Amino acid sequence: MKNRLEELRRQRGIRQEELAEALEVSRQTIGSLENGRYNPSILLAFRIARYFGMPIEEIFLYEEE
Amino acid sequence: MKKKSGILALAGLGLTALGLWMALSQGEKPGWPPALPYLLLGLGCGVFGHGTGSWISGKILEGDPQIERRARIETADERNQMIGNRAKAKAFDLMLYLFAGVLLVFALMGVDTVAVLLLTGAYLVCLGWGLYWRFRYEKEM
Repeated sequence: MKNRLEELRRQRGIRQEELAEALEVSRQTIGSLENGRYNPSILLAFRIARYFGMPIEEIFLYEEE
Repeated sequence: MKKKSGILALAGLGLTALGLWMALSQGEKPGWPPALPYLLLGLGCGVFGHGTGSWISGKILEGDPQIERRARIETADERNQMIGNRAKAKAFDLMLYLFAGVLLVFALMGVDTVAVLLLTGAYLVCLGWGLYWRFRYEKEM
């Protein structure tokens, strides 16, 4: 699943560490999410969406395989 | 927490010392089961290591809420937990084959039947425990 996490984070000028701190996850988790190596749980996806004030589907892009 | 860890470390040290003393002073006919000193040594080392580790981490985290918060986040982090669980699952899969092989080798070597049966029992308990949790999760989820 692709996502716009890195793009949104850069737009807001936030460092990975700061985002990790706000979402209460490790910095490595943010890095893995941005690289598309890890898909978040639905709870974390909601937390991310709430943090950026956007709907989930505008951040996480579902693609049929 | 720190006090509990300290007590645990001391208890481990005591058990280790006792085990060591029993192992060294063990004559031809000791007044205790021959395996007891080694059991105490193993248990003591484990308890000492666990207690000391907890005590040191408690000491490092003490008075620094920022590091304490980071440690809490790292432990609760969903990716870290998933990695840990996957690693455990892989190790369990390997253990199933490895232990089965070792049991077979023991049986072929003619190792004492009681020992082989005990190991087989322990192996089956692990498998049963896995099944129990599988059914429980099936019901819960």
